[in-house]
Amino acid sequence: MDDTIASRLKMTRRSFLGTSAAAAATVALGQNAAFAAEEIKFWDMVWGTGASYTAAARELVGSYQPAGDNLGVRYQSIPWANWYQTFTSAAASRTTPAVSSGAAFLPFYFIEKGVIAPADDLIASIDKAGTNDFLPGVLDAMKTDLGYAAMPWSMDLRVIWVRKSLLEKAGVEAPTDWQSFIKVGEALKKIDVVGLGLAGGSTTTDGQHTVSALLINNGGGLFAKDGTLDCVNDRNIETLDFLNELVRKGIIDPYAASYTSDNVTRDWLSGRIGMGFGQTGLDKNFPAEQQPDLAVISPIKSPRGDTGTVYYINPLMMFKTTASQASSEAFLGWYLDNMKIFWEKGVAIDVPVRKSIADLPILKQNANLQKSIAEWQPIGKTIGAQAPHPFGALNAVDGGGAGAAFIQQIIEGKTGSKQILETLQAALEKIVK
Amino acid sequence: MTGLALPAIVLMVVVNAYPVVFAGIQAVHDGDLLGLGNFVGFANFQDALTDPLFWRSARFTVIFSLCGVFGSWMIGFALALMLKPSFPGKNLFKILLLLPWIVPIVVSSMSWNWLTATPGSLLPTLAADLGFGRVMFLADPTMAMITVCIFKIWISYPFMMMMMSAALEGIEPNVNEAARVDGANARQRLRYIVLPMTARSTYISWILMAMFSVNDFATIFLLTGGGPVNSTTSLIVLAYRSVFQDFRPGFGVAISFLMTAALVTMSVILLRQMRKANMQ
Repeated sequence: MDDTIASRLKMTRRSFLGTSAAAAATVALGQNAAFAAEEIKFWDMVWGTGASYTAAARELVGSYQPAGDNLGVRYQSIPWANWYQTFTSAAASRTTPAVSSGAAFLPFYFIEKGVIAPADDLIASIDKAGTNDFLPGVLDAMKTDLGYAAMPWSMDLRVIWVRKSLLEKAGVEAPTDWQSFIKVGEALKKIDVVGLGLAGGSTTTDGQHTVSALLINNGGGLFAKDGTLDCVNDRNIETLDFLNELVRKGIIDPYAASYTSDNVTRDWLSGRIGMGFGQTGLDKNFPAEQQPDLAVISPIKSPRGDTGTVYYINPLMMFKTTASQASSEAFLGWYLDNMKIFWEKGVAIDVPVRKSIADLPILKQNANLQKSIAEWQPIGKTIGAQAPHPFGALNAVDGGGAGAAFIQQIIEGKTGSKQILETLQAALEKIVK
Repeated sequence: MTGLALPAIVLMVVVNAYPVVFAGIQAVHDGDLLGLGNFVGFANFQDALTDPLFWRSARFTVIFSLCGVFGSWMIGFALALMLKPSFPGKNLFKILLLLPWIVPIVVSSMSWNWLTATPGSLLPTLAADLGFGRVMFLADPTMAMITVCIFKIWISYPFMMMMMSAALEGIEPNVNEAARVDGANARQRLRYIVLPMTARSTYISWILMAMFSVNDFATIFLLTGGGPVNSTTSLIVLAYRSVFQDFRPGFGVAISFLMTAALVTMSVILLRQMRKANMQ
């Protein structure tokens, strides 16, 4: 090698240390520069219809014009894969954005940890402006002892869907209570159709949502009114007995114990499933010509006469790492006031949580959505039922290993209801402290 | 000289030792992903060792690893023996056999899910047509264990085939020829010539595959997620779930340390065996 080149490439201890110091200084300066940025960051999960939703959200945020001294906003789409690691590692390294959407219970964890700012001031300003038209109970569901954990923007509400043509083929009407649900399920079974479609695999929470909906339907839940774990109670045992009957009668497919969300979607599409809990946008998965065959039915009554379902309120939270809390609040208020475009464009599939959006003409034409809002939303509760409000540990309850094993034991149909609930209680005691 | 090496040493310590030391600290605390929490001594290790799910996972890890090591070794070795002589299309055949190793695991697991998951999938339909009734390859706990182990063998045998093909190339043809002239049949030549002369490579491939299998998260998680009812939960899946789904990093890291201890012990035993084979 040429001596001159060799000497240029040679790394001495001094040059190494010098380079390292320069690199460290660059990083430090970069961080300072980030804090002094003229924009705040907005992280948004991939909601609704996916890429088209993200494009619409990016366009909406791009049109934001901050007033006065408020900062502008930079949009960043965040994938759902490993979302918890994404947020917790950002929080640990204090690199969270100013504003973010996220999973339902994430704000409750973050407010307990002091990572996010309560939304009380923003709600007060919305009240003052006279634009507080949130649907009943939605804001209350965000309230904690430390203030409002986040602003709700939409709701993943679980409702019962039926395929009308399959019910007609089986010669039955839509069920109205648990007893008629069994009868309809038996009739569907006779034509080789699944009466309660669900995905119970370990990589999906679909089955957990269905069972949570039924637990709430019977006035039960995993928690007592004082917030302590209460899996083993009479109402939950009754619900599991009901599910066990569905398993024994073949109304729940035993294959569902390993089903992924894709598996259950394919079964809905192929006409193998005739009935089941699903999101309010389930029909959007179907080709346009099949969509009228799907209908949301009225809530069914449990033997005690109760109704209920589970919902997940999609939040928008404000992190304390913002360069300007006033800018975060100004942007979030504006975003909530202008997001109706997601429903107008058909890129949001969840239930809107503001009456002004629910009353949009395009949504008024959607009979299934209107039924969901009118009949199902008011009876919804979170998986924290019957606790007074959600809390951080629900992140582990929803989608944790204990929940998956719980659903799979139910579908397996070999273990008694009380024993299944005792196993769940023991497993959850380790993660809910 | 020592001074010159100092930056490199510091870098190595930061890159390698820091995560291990931090994990060690997490293992004796009860924190979550945002904070260390309180010091709890060896409580996480005690919790792991007294948790029935830990032992159930350990048992499946052993079964999965044994299948992964010996199942793939037997198939890989048999294929290496078959591919030793030259024949037309040998290279194409070899490439086709390598496909399970080459194809990304996400694609393979999706394919296996399509093959097995629903009653209308190919394998359950085939099983029903052959009179085996309703076979639930992924939904029945025992069948799920078997399916995951077969999947592991399927994706691992090409590695073993390559390792053993290389080892077989090292055997001088005249050794085999001499044995043949002396009247040794194929089984005797395999028993007394081929196996001893490939023992070193065999032990190395076993050690490597054992480590791959014990630490194999993707194969299990992508196909079954550890279910149904935890039947295919291995220790690495349990550690992942404890940290990232149940948010108990101390407990999950403690499981990882216990796994590491078991792996080191197993590797030492196999390395001793390898040395013994070398001496012979």
